[in-house]
Amino acid sequence: MKNKLRELRAAREWSQSDLAEKLGVSRQTINAIETEKYDPSLPLAFKIGRLFKQPIETIFEV
Amino acid sequence: MNESTRQESGESMDCRPTLREQFKFNIWLAVTTATYLVTLFLVQHFKEWSPLVQVSVTLLPVLPGLMYLGKGLRLLRQMDELQRRIQLEAWFFAAIGTVIVSAVINVFNAHGLVWETFPHGLEIGGTYLLMFFLWTLGVAFSTRRYQ
Repeated sequence: MKNKLRELRAAREWSQSDLAEKLGVSRQTINAIETEKYDPSLPLAFKIGRLFKQPIETIFEV
Repeated sequence: MNESTRQESGESMDCRPTLREQFKFNIWLAVTTATYLVTLFLVQHFKEWSPLVQVSVTLLPVLPGLMYLGKGLRLLRQMDELQRRIQLEAWFFAAIGTVIVSAVINVFNAHGLVWETFPHGLEIGGTYLLMFFLWTLGVAFSTRRYQ
């Protein structure tokens, strides 16, 4: 699934580790989502949306 | 403090297993393995023991095994979703792989092509080691896949 996670993270100058810590997941999970090798669960997608204050459909596209 | 407030303040909500939890898990694995090896030795060298004592001694590894199971479940619950998926894939790989290898050895044995190392098929020790080996391979494959 395509997503804008890398751009959103970069815009805030957060590292993958920073974002992983804020979301309570591992850095590997953030990397796997950014490289589109892993699609997050709905609860994690909502957490990401809340963190970046954007609806999930603007961050993730099918 | 609710979840969104924690996120906004940037406070960590880390739910990954701590090193202490991982250490406890591995300790119980080591204790279970050691107990199994000791009871195996005892049962093989003290055949004069009554059946009740033999059965009791043989079942001793079940106790640390249950602790190992409990710690493993706790560790699994503390993992994040990708780590849980990696573990699920690795355990599936290990379980099905072990069934396939056991079936192949049993078929060989049934047709008289007895593999000298496993004259009675994979016994519990062999099954355990094979499953552990396949789980390690499974974790390595899945971790690589999501890197």
